[in-house]
Amino acid sequence: MTTAGLALRVGAGRWLGGLLAGAVGVAAVTTVVALLEPSLPALGLLPLYLLAVLPVAVRWGAGPAAVVSVASTVLLGYLFLPSSRRLWFAEVDNAAATGVFLVTAVVVGNLAARLRRAAEHSARLSAEQAALRRVATQVAREAPPEEVFATVVGEIGRLLGADSAAIVRLDPDGLSTVIAQDGDGPERLPVGSRWSIEPPLALGVALRTGEPARRDGYEEVPGEFAELLRQVGVRSSVAIPVVAGGRTWGALGAQRRGTAFPADAEQRIAEFTEIVAIAIANAESRTQLAASRARIIAATDATRRRLERDLHDGAQQRLVSLALELRQVESAVPAQVRADLDRMAGDLTEALDELRELSRGIHPVVLSEGGLGPALRAIARRAQVPVELDVRTAERFPEPVEVAAYYVVSEAVTNTTKHGGASYVEVTLDAGANALALRVRDDGAGGADPARGSGLTGLRDRVEALGGSIHVTSPAGAGTTIEVSLPLAR
Amino acid sequence: MIGGMLRRCLIVDDNERFLAVARTSLERDGLEVVGTASTVADALDKADRLRPDVVLVDVALGAESGFDLTRQLVERHPDLRARVVLISTRREEDYADLIALSPAAGFVWKAQLSAGAVRELVAGRP
Repeated sequence: MTTAGLALRVGAGRWLGGLLAGAVGVAAVTTVVALLEPSLPALGLLPLYLLAVLPVAVRWGAGPAAVVSVASTVLLGYLFLPSSRRLWFAEVDNAAATGVFLVTAVVVGNLAARLRRAAEHSARLSAEQAALRRVATQVAREAPPEEVFATVVGEIGRLLGADSAAIVRLDPDGLSTVIAQDGDGPERLPVGSRWSIEPPLALGVALRTGEPARRDGYEEVPGEFAELLRQVGVRSSVAIPVVAGGRTWGALGAQRRGTAFPADAEQRIAEFTEIVAIAIANAESRTQLAASRARIIAATDATRRRLERDLHDGAQQRLVSLALELRQVESAVPAQVRADLDRMAGDLTEALDELRELSRGIHPVVLSEGGLGPALRAIARRAQVPVELDVRTAERFPEPVEVAAYYVVSEAVTNTTKHGGASYVEVTLDAGANALALRVRDDGAGGADPARGSGLTGLRDRVEALGGSIHVTSPAGAGTTIEVSLPLAR
Repeated sequence: MIGGMLRRCLIVDDNERFLAVARTSLERDGLEVVGTASTVADALDKADRLRPDVVLVDVALGAESGFDLTRQLVERHPDLRARVVLISTRREEDYADLIALSPAAGFVWKAQLSAGAVRELVAGRP
């Protein structure tokens, strides 16, 4: 069926509905007129028929309303004016009254119909604005892009009366991946599925040209995807490219089975694709930011590890051998020199210990060697307040995760000793299915401000660079609790 | 065998200067250094061939781990259980947990290494 044919059928439906409703209205008004007519002149009751005309005008438009007006006039004349005066409307008075009624009915009908169109338009606009606002709010609160995409296709499906809508991403290999979809018809594209979407499909055109595209009818379109659309009876498609960072990232498409999309569909979708583009750009910069943070931290950690190693292999190794040699010489020299040598050996041991302390602060070697359990127990042993450890995992984790967890505990224990006035610290470490959960709690003074404490800021950087989260609860007088979750890619 | 009868020793360390100093020190006190090794593979091979009474193992062997070597040594030579002594430039507290978990007799800080310290450790854990 052609688009014109469809429009005709819809138009016929509108007339039929309007005329039926008009008939019901006219019948009702006629009943009232019949009741009043004995005491009042029938022609004077003609304006009552406006009650039947107005609803038709509002609901079905000016055309059906005009027909109902004329029908009302004719009916009134036929039923209530004497049969001898079949040509009643030819009389001047009657003609004037009827004419005034008809003109009034048509003008009022037109106004009502226009009002209705304006109301419809405004309702549509406000629905669109509300939908745009919902999506924009999601973008503003940095919701994950998948969530934004799902909302967008849902809103578009609803606003345009689409049977299905989807967002696809154009991949480097030329195929397109479905990122979000709405609708449950058989033409829906499963999220994650990959397709070759080429012109003359609307989506294909949008992806290749970066311009909005539309297609009504799929009779002669080749390809697996067009075949699917044909099978399920999709008639009309519109597609708008999503341009992010100056290139066509993907496209948003909507399909309809029954009638073609309205002429302004592309323009209406475009407002959404702009927000989608912003969401994508935001997500990409967030990902890049996180990656660069992670790189900086990883580079720093690598440097610290190397520094510790160099100290160990170089200066420490040499001094340790020297100390051992001194002890040997000591036993072979006269007693008076021995005392001097002994003092020197003692100094050397102290220097070695200081060096050891320094390099332990640079990088905890026990962490790389034995993992979090032994490393946290080493912290607990050195701490100046009792540390209760509850380590519920003996697993090894990726180095950045172990290092982050280690520094969280080490920093928290240091803070507790320095400011907290705590009598003990409790550390709980547990490995879940997707994340490592760490909690450090003390019974100190509380009042730690994560915004001011540079130590806590450093921890936040570390944890967030790994995609994790850190929460500090520190009410004055009620201790401090630090809760950290570090994602594990298993 | 008791600690006093320890005579033959294998040292596993990747620092040549330390090996030389340690050899002099130990041998003067009657602990013969029958061999030295600087990698896990080399150490396992020498332990098989030389059958030492005691093995001194540096915790950090380049990229390899002295703890791993200790486990492997004891698996292959059960009589070496409590006859491996871990040594390091780092201090015992740096590795405390790992030392406790290993089948070694114990730990001696390299700066304090002596035949006496080794004998004491091995004798203390029959």
